[in-house]
Amino acid sequence: MNANILETRGLSKSFGGFYAVRGVNLRVRSGTIHALIGPNGAGKTTVFNLLTKFLQPTQGEIRYDGYDITLRKPSHVARMGMVRSFQISAIFPHLTVRDNLRVALQRRLGTTFHFWRSGRMLDQLDDRADELLSSVGLSDVSNEVAMNLPYGRRRALEIATTLSLDPKLLLLDEPMSGLGREDIGVVSNLIRQVNQTHTVLMVEHNLSVVAELSDAITVMARGRVLAEGSYADISKNPEVRTAYIGSAHA
Amino acid sequence: MTELMSFMPPLPVLAGQLLIGLINGSFYALLSLGLAIIFGLLQIVNFAHGAQYMMGALCSYVLLTWLGVGYWPALILAPLIVGSFGVVLERVFIRHLYHLHHMYGMLLTFGFALVIEGCVRQRMGSSGNTYPVPSALAGGWKLAFTYLPAYRLWVIGISLTVCLATWYLIEKTRLGSVLRAATERPDLTRSFGINVPKLVMLTYGFGVALAALAGTMAAPIYSINAQMGSEIIIVVFAVVVIGGMGSIKGAIISGFGLGIAEGLTKTFYPQASTTIVFVIMVLVLLLRPAGLFGTSEQQAPNSSLSGDVSLDFMNVAVRRTLVAVSIAAGLAAPFVVYPVFGMKVLCFALFASAFNLLLGFGGLMSFGHAAFYGTASYVAAYTVKTMGFDPMFGILAAMTVVGMMGLAFGYLAIRRHGIYFAMVTLALAQMVYFFAVQAPFTHNDEGIQGVPRGHLFGLINLENQLTMYYFVFAIVLLGLITIWRIVNSPFGYVLKSVRENEARAISLGYDTDRCKLLAFVLSAVLAAVAGALDALVFQLASLTNVHWSMSGHALLMSILGGVGTLSGPILGAIIVAGMENYLASLGSWVNIVHGMIFIGCVMVFRRGIVGEIAFRLGARRSVSRSRREPAAASGAIAASLSSQP
Ligand SMILES: Nc1ncnc2c1ncn2[C@@H]1O[C@H](COP(=O)(O)OP(=O)(O)OP(=O)(O)O)[C@@H](O)[C@H]1O
Ligand SMILES: [Mg+2]
Repeated sequence: MNANILETRGLSKSFGGFYAVRGVNLRVRSGTIHALIGPNGAGKTTVFNLLTKFLQPTQGEIRYDGYDITLRKPSHVARMGMVRSFQISAIFPHLTVRDNLRVALQRRLGTTFHFWRSGRMLDQLDDRADELLSSVGLSDVSNEVAMNLPYGRRRALEIATTLSLDPKLLLLDEPMSGLGREDIGVVSNLIRQVNQTHTVLMVEHNLSVVAELSDAITVMARGRVLAEGSYADISKNPEVRTAYIGSAHA
Repeated sequence: MTELMSFMPPLPVLAGQLLIGLINGSFYALLSLGLAIIFGLLQIVNFAHGAQYMMGALCSYVLLTWLGVGYWPALILAPLIVGSFGVVLERVFIRHLYHLHHMYGMLLTFGFALVIEGCVRQRMGSSGNTYPVPSALAGGWKLAFTYLPAYRLWVIGISLTVCLATWYLIEKTRLGSVLRAATERPDLTRSFGINVPKLVMLTYGFGVALAALAGTMAAPIYSINAQMGSEIIIVVFAVVVIGGMGSIKGAIISGFGLGIAEGLTKTFYPQASTTIVFVIMVLVLLLRPAGLFGTSEQQAPNSSLSGDVSLDFMNVAVRRTLVAVSIAAGLAAPFVVYPVFGMKVLCFALFASAFNLLLGFGGLMSFGHAAFYGTASYVAAYTVKTMGFDPMFGILAAMTVVGMMGLAFGYLAIRRHGIYFAMVTLALAQMVYFFAVQAPFTHNDEGIQGVPRGHLFGLINLENQLTMYYFVFAIVLLGLITIWRIVNSPFGYVLKSVRENEARAISLGYDTDRCKLLAFVLSAVLAAVAGALDALVFQLASLTNVHWSMSGHALLMSILGGVGTLSGPILGAIIVAGMENYLASLGSWVNIVHGMIFIGCVMVFRRGIVGEIAFRLGARRSVSRSRREPAAASGAIAASLSSQP
């Protein structure tokens, strides 16, 4: 299947006159790992915020899975199967590791507003939660309060939580940031594994990870798309080189 | 004066009210400017701003009448003195909070406000003082249609000048750009060799001095009394919500604009003049939630005020025993303490627990729960006394009315996050307070007196003190069980996740606004049960229950006992009600003690009593356990990464 799961046209966002994102046309093909790279402040996180509707675009439109989602609410977009992670690892710090997953799994039960029922009914989710935890190697800490986990394991928890929603499209914002070399290997494998069944769009500064994982790459700088293509195409592009040399990331 | 005016044509009235509006606007502008500057750099809502305004007035009064210093030196000295006092507060207390959630700053400065106001009241009583207009500014000009007192023109002129100068300083000079840089990137600014802590300290001092300047100028116009600060600060909060705290220009324009709007309302529809600012706030929240000058909507703050304190370290048997003992103590209480006191504790316990449902489990700090408690008292008192309702139906009526009110207030307030949420709820509650002051059926200061307790379902005589106690006990117990169930329900889990990380909860597909709204309504309805019981117990519904200090009580009980614990607010209620009972003879000392408790809790004791105990015991447990299973993680990601960022 090679259809585009996600497509933007002329996507722009201005913050009081300053365009953080300008005229971005992005196409993500179903089933691929697509990387979004660029120097600091290029507008990558802002693109993620626009796609997931945490920010309302100033101009442009977003089509996801055949629907125009430009005017949808962020929680609605998430329910349609586009689920994001955050640049700063996003977990529920005071809940236990298992409860982090249960909360994510719970949404499908449709009991969000059931304030009169016993929480025991959520025990039915435990099997699935434990299955997901073991897939990212967190079984041994399932009763630990999440904020006590070391950084790398929090990342793993975040990915497991995202996966528990069975999303069609995963948006990962710098999944490798703050990880040591071993963990990068583990998370890379995880992403590859996820990609068997899901499409992935990720922002990543670690270029060797990008080179290894991605099927397609979009390079942004100062809010615009600079280049698009495979890693080999991109690395030859002179504009991309200047953009990167001009910044801290070489 | 007013009789005179009514004989005149409307133009002078209009001109006169416009002038008063401009004067008030000057004070609003100076105060909201100070708040905006402080918030900009310190990320703290300075709740003590009103108290510091009052200190300015008082300080110049002391300088003028006791020390014989002239008006002109006092105009400079008073802001300097109060500003230096602000600097001391910043050095000793506030600077320890910069790494914490914004709410702590607000709570700490709320504590300051209580202490300052209490001390002043203790010393001077609540009657007003004033000092004369300086002779150089006495008199005025008679124009064709109105009289222009020189002093008032002077006040407007000075405020405008100070506001514009401050705006220029911040937007157009190098110092201003350093300030703005320090706001955005304190780490970077520091690396340019700028002393950021000193900058922060002086900024706080400057903001406080602006408040004191306003107070100094206000003194000859209004009477100087202990509560002048808390009255104006709530209006200023509404002004800030309308203007948007992010913008200096916004603070100035909306300050003056709302003063004028108030003046105009006084001419055309005087009954609404106290509430017009709040009504405008509601409209702005509906039409432009970020405020008139607010730029980008702020992202929801991610850190929560307090974590869930887990009591799992106690095994089930111990917990059950504790609950059983508490219930037994509650049943035996009327034989040990005065039953009315016991009932007050019960009402407070339910009120604080309802409040804590929102704060501790939803992460939403409401400063307006007095509106729910007080309105419920009025509704219950009115329906039972005037309409002859059965007491139980009185309570249900209160729950219904307050439930709808909670829906409306919640709908408005959840449009803003964090501190803005607190300010919006405070302002909405103040609107209810002013309504209660004016509405005929509340009988103003007297309240609805002589509410009959009646017969429950026409059968059980509640005039009997013991019967009434057990009735209240049963209802409160039911309320507490309801709260326990909500916290442990499927909804409770979602609510906790919203508290922990709202953005993440949204990205999991939850409609977090609706979750917060439901939590808000549930909390309001449960607070209403407490308020309605209060009216039946004391056979009285009065302004005390709807005054902002009642919201402060809810906060105090929760924070003292332990936010986010189920038993904390109950313990807090026992202590606070006890203090009120036994310290009642000490007058304003109660306020001072309350303020000190806030300060103490924020500075050293953030988990509250129950939270602290649980943490100590829990910490011991987890230490001993990790000794048994050293570095448990094996073969998984990053067992090596043991350090936390
Ligand atoms: N809410 C906001 N208000 C104003 N400006 C913003 C806002 N969010 C982002 N910006 C600006 O937009 C630009 C792009 O930011 P963005 O976070 O999207 O960059 P990025 O590519 O993700 O960078 P990084 O690699 O550092 O994460 C930056 O200059 C940033 O300052
Ligand atoms: Mg980014």
